[in-house]
Amino acid sequence: MSLEPNYAPDEAGWECGNCHRPLEQGKVQACYLDAAFDVLLPRCPVCGLTMIPKSLAEGKMVEVEALVEEK
Amino acid sequence: MHFDQQHLHETEARCTQESPPQCRQACPFSLDVRAFMQHCAKGDFGQARRLLERNLPLPDVMGLICDHPCETACLRRDLGGSCAIGDLERFCLAHLPVQSRPLPMPPKRFSIAVLGAGLAGLAAVWNLSRNGYPVTCLHGGERTSALLARHPQLAGAKAVGDVFEALDRAGVKFAESSLDEASLAQAMESFDGVLLDADATTLAPRFKDVDAATLLWRDKCCAAGWLETTPTGHRYASASRQANEGRIAAQTLERVVAKVSLTASRGDTFGPLHIDISGIAPAPRIEPGPEGFTPDTARKEAERCLECQCLACVKACAYLRKYQGYPKVYTRQISNNASIVKGHHQANPLIEGCCLCGKCTELCPENFSMADLCLMAREDMVARAYDPPSAHEFAIEDMESACGPESFLSQPDPSGRQRWLLFPGCQLAASRGAQVLALLRHLRKGLPGDGVGLLLSCCGVPAKWAGRPNLHARMGKRLAEAVAAQGNPVVLAACASCMESLRQHLPGTEVRSVWETIRDMPLPEGARTGLPKSLWVRDPCSARHDAAWLDSVRTLARKAGVDVEDSPSAGRTTGCCGYGGLVWCVDPELADSIAEDGLPPDLAPEKRGEPDARPVLASCIMCRDRLVAEGVPALHLLDLLFPGTGAASARERGPGLSARRAGRIALRRAALDGSDVPAPLAGVPGLDVDAALLARLEERHILLEDVAETVQAVDAAGRYFVNSVTGHRLGSSRPRRVTFWVEYSPKDGGFTVHDAWCHRMVIPGCGSDAGQPWNRQEDAP
Repeated sequence: MSLEPNYAPDEAGWECGNCHRPLEQGKVQACYLDAAFDVLLPRCPVCGLTMIPKSLAEGKMVEVEALVEEK
Repeated sequence: MHFDQQHLHETEARCTQESPPQCRQACPFSLDVRAFMQHCAKGDFGQARRLLERNLPLPDVMGLICDHPCETACLRRDLGGSCAIGDLERFCLAHLPVQSRPLPMPPKRFSIAVLGAGLAGLAAVWNLSRNGYPVTCLHGGERTSALLARHPQLAGAKAVGDVFEALDRAGVKFAESSLDEASLAQAMESFDGVLLDADATTLAPRFKDVDAATLLWRDKCCAAGWLETTPTGHRYASASRQANEGRIAAQTLERVVAKVSLTASRGDTFGPLHIDISGIAPAPRIEPGPEGFTPDTARKEAERCLECQCLACVKACAYLRKYQGYPKVYTRQISNNASIVKGHHQANPLIEGCCLCGKCTELCPENFSMADLCLMAREDMVARAYDPPSAHEFAIEDMESACGPESFLSQPDPSGRQRWLLFPGCQLAASRGAQVLALLRHLRKGLPGDGVGLLLSCCGVPAKWAGRPNLHARMGKRLAEAVAAQGNPVVLAACASCMESLRQHLPGTEVRSVWETIRDMPLPEGARTGLPKSLWVRDPCSARHDAAWLDSVRTLARKAGVDVEDSPSAGRTTGCCGYGGLVWCVDPELADSIAEDGLPPDLAPEKRGEPDARPVLASCIMCRDRLVAEGVPALHLLDLLFPGTGAASARERGPGLSARRAGRIALRRAALDGSDVPAPLAGVPGLDVDAALLARLEERHILLEDVAETVQAVDAAGRYFVNSVTGHRLGSSRPRRVTFWVEYSPKDGGFTVHDAWCHRMVIPGCGSDAGQPWNRQEDAP
């Protein structure tokens, strides 16, 4: 079991528009300035297209960006 | 880096907020009278008494005889009478038992003799014994006789007996003595230090024969406790001065026996604490009555204390209030921020939150400048690359767009003559394109034969505000080239910040306010109906020192038939609307609070919505647009001059960020085409974005063009998610250091936008990385 923060899509029903596959949670490395964080995000198991849900972009991500900028 | 220690000390010394108030400066014991009064006002008389015990020698006796010079200095003096500080001290000392126990000090091996048991001698005995020195007090007659002879009101007071008991318990030796030259000679022989009480012996020298700062007479002998003389020659004893001299002499003897400097770090020196008492209502002094104060009357009298503080700048500035300190504290926080190697730069928001308007400098009796401090800190952050990118990046991009090929225009007068050059500034161009063209026509008509050129650009001041002096200089160079190409005409600025910035960029060129130039011209033709009868003038912060600007605005308004009155934000001490210093970009909420400062009471939030509320007259378009966004009715000066041309009503909000960019482009096209009115740009063809949604997105600095570019990029590449329930598509692009996400759906050959968001983090598989192959290995458990 992964210990990384896990962010699912805000609504159900999303799939890859290109590969037409349902999204799966996959580990990716988010980078900002000199910092990097592992997170689990919804993405296409075939082409790797990765989604940032709005709740993450306007919530935790803003907080973390601000913290990294203060370093 | 400018934050060397000396510079820091010089800067923070300008803020006098930590200087003691007048009452404390007048108290020989430097009693924190303000804190004492605050404790009393809260009914916490125990804390109040503890403060007296910590500061006063022989506190119970001093309370009874103190001549309280603090009251003479009290600023309540002419506002109902000085606070009854002396009576309140007596109340605390009489009604509560001793609140603190002296800390036992390790005994010292140096012995001190005090000759004479007057108030000064006993004060010295008190302090020396508390500090662990073996003290012998030689007195003539009874040991209480000198004290009671000078202060007969102490006769029968229990406090006197209590004090001597306490001294006995502390191990002080009292011995009757003839107090003559022989006893002095013997004391000098037998003790490590000697103190002479000038009010209880005849041995002491005159005051002028001792060192005034240390009260050292000779060798290891000090003296203290002289009588005061009035200008008419009357001699009297000031209890507070006598006791204080005893305290000073005791300190000197401690240094004498320790063989350390008698003067180093001794006696705090403070600048004056500036206090504005205008507008404070008088409140009559509450007298204690024959039985003294009761707890209730004591509390009420203490509530009269003005709790003197300066805070002249803090009271007037939402930014300075936000961080709950004052410039001296902020100087230290900003300086500490600059010296952090590892850890969080917690003062970044403090540094970025100042609108750099300079109101604090105007209000501060010492001319403290938060603007200079914050600008220096911003330049340091940029130079050492620890400035937060999210703070100013969007504003700098906006500046670059206003100077970009779609918006920049340097257009000489068609006649070829080149005497004047109108520089409307990028925000007036963005918000009031039609009025800019009307102003240009008016100038050309009013200055026939002179030639009036037009320069559409940003002045570069955002770069300066962002702490990027090199970028600001590059902007200046480009503008200087454009002005030179038009023959170095007189530049007529319609924005006060532009005027300031251009004067820096163009040292050899005259830059003046366009209002000054049109002040003496006939008003533009056209009916002026529907204008308010009267307006509140709010001056732009950058124009505070430009008398011609300030006068021209008022003159032009009156010529247009409008009566004007200065709002609290007018003239030299006017404030910013929150646009300055890029606060609108960094901390929009704070920028809104800054805009609220300096509004007249009849435009308070609960009153400004009334239909007959008197609007504000602004001569800066950002002041005008930002105030209207706060619900404050406001007009721009151009609305009085050209009411029929693109004027807004006092309630009509200014354009949003996307529309501002479109407005600049439209103005440039109209100027090139020779049109009178810029043709509005019809958004992005084929892209349907609800106005309320766009306003929300612009709060996150997502512009219409960002949305359009993202939709076009992701849809063309087919790199989007699709929702099987709603049919919406979701994709991202990263055209610069921000990734934009747009949720949209195709409609009639175009697109309807449902939502958008953005982030600065880089995520593989998103934005510009969305098309790159994905390494499945990353998924391995």
